[in-house]
Amino acid sequence: MSVKTTVSDTGPWVGQPLPRREDARLTAGAGTFTDDIRMPGMLHAAFLRSPHAHARIVRINADKARALKGVHAVITGEDVERLTKPISTIIPFKMFLPNYCLAVDKARYVGEPVAAIAAVDRATAEDAAELIEVEYEPLPAVVDPWEAIEQPPSFVFDEIKSNVIWHDTFSYGEVDDAFSRAAHVVSDRFSVQRYISTALETMGVIGKWDSSGLTLWSADQRPGFATHALTTALQIPHSQIRLVSPYIGGGFGNKRKATYMVIVALLAREADRPVKYLEDRQENLLGLVHASNQVMDLEMALDADGKILGLKLRDVVDEGSNVINPTLHSMLKFTNMLNNYTIPAVRFEGYAVLTNKCHSGANRGIGKPFMCFVIERAVEMAAKKVGIDSLELRRRNFIPASAMPYESPMGNVYDSGDFLATLDTALKTANYDDLLKQQEEARRAGRYFGIGIATAVEPNSLNLSAYTLMTGRTDTSGVGEGALVRMEGDGSVRVSLGNTASGQGYETVVAQIVADELGIHPHRVTVAPGFDSAVNPWLHCSGSFANKFSGTDVGAIIEAARTIRAKILRIAAHLTGRKAEELTIREAAIWVHGANEPLLPLAKVAMTAYRDLLRLPEGEMPGLEARHFYVDPQSNLPAMSKDDKRLRFQLTFSNSAHIAVTEVNPDTGAVKIHRYIIAHDCGREINPMLVEGMVHGATTHGIGGALYEDLIYDENGQMLAGSFMDYLKPTALDVPEFEVVALETPSPFTPLGAKGVGEGGSIPSLAAITNSVEDALKPLGVTLTELPLTPNKIWDAIQKARAEGKDT
Amino acid sequence: MSELKQHDVSLTVNGKAETISVAPRASLADALRDTLGLTGTHIGCEHGVCGACTVLLDGKPVRSCLLFAVQAEGAVITTIEGIGDAQSPHPLQRAFNECHGLHCGFCTPGMIVTLSAFLKEHPQPTSDDVREAISGNLCMCTGYQNIVRSALRAAELIEGAKS
Repeated sequence: MSVKTTVSDTGPWVGQPLPRREDARLTAGAGTFTDDIRMPGMLHAAFLRSPHAHARIVRINADKARALKGVHAVITGEDVERLTKPISTIIPFKMFLPNYCLAVDKARYVGEPVAAIAAVDRATAEDAAELIEVEYEPLPAVVDPWEAIEQPPSFVFDEIKSNVIWHDTFSYGEVDDAFSRAAHVVSDRFSVQRYISTALETMGVIGKWDSSGLTLWSADQRPGFATHALTTALQIPHSQIRLVSPYIGGGFGNKRKATYMVIVALLAREADRPVKYLEDRQENLLGLVHASNQVMDLEMALDADGKILGLKLRDVVDEGSNVINPTLHSMLKFTNMLNNYTIPAVRFEGYAVLTNKCHSGANRGIGKPFMCFVIERAVEMAAKKVGIDSLELRRRNFIPASAMPYESPMGNVYDSGDFLATLDTALKTANYDDLLKQQEEARRAGRYFGIGIATAVEPNSLNLSAYTLMTGRTDTSGVGEGALVRMEGDGSVRVSLGNTASGQGYETVVAQIVADELGIHPHRVTVAPGFDSAVNPWLHCSGSFANKFSGTDVGAIIEAARTIRAKILRIAAHLTGRKAEELTIREAAIWVHGANEPLLPLAKVAMTAYRDLLRLPEGEMPGLEARHFYVDPQSNLPAMSKDDKRLRFQLTFSNSAHIAVTEVNPDTGAVKIHRYIIAHDCGREINPMLVEGMVHGATTHGIGGALYEDLIYDENGQMLAGSFMDYLKPTALDVPEFEVVALETPSPFTPLGAKGVGEGGSIPSLAAITNSVEDALKPLGVTLTELPLTPNKIWDAIQKARAEGKDT
Repeated sequence: MSELKQHDVSLTVNGKAETISVAPRASLADALRDTLGLTGTHIGCEHGVCGACTVLLDGKPVRSCLLFAVQAEGAVITTIEGIGDAQSPHPLQRAFNECHGLHCGFCTPGMIVTLSAFLKEHPQPTSDDVREAISGNLCMCTGYQNIVRSALRAAELIEGAKS
């Protein structure tokens, strides 16, 4: 396809499909994941988890567990209440919330840790867990989010005296006026299930105490965030907590779990030995984190020509037992509700609701897959109502390329993109006219053949000032990242980041970026595979989230590299009697601009910086090391006025158009994806091979969400999808060969013109597949508003339509 | 449990004869990782669905999480460490790098071990054959497409090395 496949031997390196540096060890099974770390005397932990969705803990007797040979430590809620403070929350609650690392007094979801054991091996720890006697008094479980609001059978947190943890209305533009002028109004209720990325490496933590404090090795992808939670919970200074993320086997937002870290820290302290905990897959599905199930009521006002005038939205997010960071889904959804359309007026009423389910949290795209699902389904419905083709309706409403940068009513500034070109590229790649003919033939043959289109923005980075507008919290703002670049005495370079690596290929792409800045080959740049808070530069917002690498992190890397570059040139100028402005660096040497021969080797300058200290320019500090903390310049503070709720919530915007070609088997309700076409634009591509890989992976995540994956609870709050036999992931047989074409509209707001790409595919895929399946079932007049599209759901819809005599 | 009697198991791992002492309930995966220190065999689900722990037992791919170590008495086991390394990579390891067949790399050892046996029996596979062959190995990162490409490329490399 359009991806560049050849690598040249010289720079510039940014833009080249360089094969990855990290692969040699990973393909040889020599990657160091958390579970691969072994320490002398290390114990293994097991957790006893609640079998009840909601139950008071009357009594726990752990005597037998403590007496078991090989057991070194057992902790229960009582210990935790005595030894720790609750995990801190993003919403500044006024009341005390007993949100501890283990259930204290009551369990709030099936799978909540109730007790923890450290023993000589995992099997012994699990034996001990079985010996713990817990007397539960079951309480009515809060399962349905609407019921949780309107007729709560009980409260998840009695202290709040409501299950509504957040409720607010945000209104932008003249919404009532828009609806009074409307020629057409589309309204419907849409819903999405709980699903999750299930990184193949489950979450793990190793804890060890020594005279310098606590060290934790874990797969945590937001170490900045975790350190803050740990210091609050354990009441030890930040400076005594060292957090190491060796290398993460997939994150997708899911791998942030302060509760596990606190439990392991307590066990390790009690046992006075290093302790390792690793989730098994059932624990991972029950208790790591879930993307929320969400329900949205939409009303869309359109004029007679199909121009969208406004939206009224009422949304409920089922946060489960999440009091740590609720409102994430609400915020990231509603602030992007325009998708890629000019919609001048939007009112969003949001509820974040507590239920007796696993806590919600970050997962690839947070809220935006559902945003896109709702809008792109509504666009299809609107087109029918207006009586025009849905492609035409999209074209009439796209934010035009000429309007960039475009400020949305919510205050987001769309930096770049040509949405029309993206859509047209997808249609052309798909041979859309031929597809329509194929569909006609298939329908004549009685087959249910569908073509579904969805277009989407993929927002990048996250301005944490957003929490001020959402929750009233005023101690956090902006977004940034840290990078450290150090050129050694031989001219080779090492780099470390505040971000954590979980498969993005940072060891390769960061080397490409730094190689260009410092005029060396990327093979001379070694990027630390992991994070170590005692070594790497980091901020509290450090880590892997919100697609922030391509803009925010790159800013930190480039600034640090440029500081080194300027210093190299100053030292070289001093050594050669030239002016720094006359000089440049390339091919690992210092050159006078335009000269045919290099002036001196880069290594000579580097060595001078480290050992020939008296021959450095006067006042120049030795060494070639720069640590840069970058604040993304697009992030801003909310307006001082209470009425102005505009903010640059997210900072740059990639975009894509997906076309899914599907066929429904009417006898089984199963959906087969025949073709899947993707046109996407993430600005300048740092490494096109890795970009395309991200597109495949993210889209596959959406296919799972659309068709297979469902973290389903029964009416008693029992979780029914506790294994990969029940929680179905897409396999190689379910996923089509993606046809991907890239457009490159550079962002004017990021240092390299690059934009995020990791989340993109997961955003329009739910809508593209659903639009396609509904189109396949067009002869039956079926309307699809609820995900996932499992065979039984589709089959039921077919039977219902046939019973109503709709089959044509 | 610590009181349970340990069993001696003699087996060949990556060409080397080993006798290991394991608990009767220890899985082969745990024995390889913990007793022999071969941590390239990854554990992703422990119920035989994800395929990350795949090793070759007498040349056939098996899920080492579903076997007890004691069942491997007398067996010839090949783990990812026995397939190749950075110095002398197997064509699959080269191809996975060339074709970007991995992101986080957690599923990769299982994928490569599975495919190493598959390519022996199917030296000229189609992409559908490859998809079928890896349908019991889950990858959460790549969407499989580049794994399929990697397998096809490895088949080419193996064929090229023969001629």
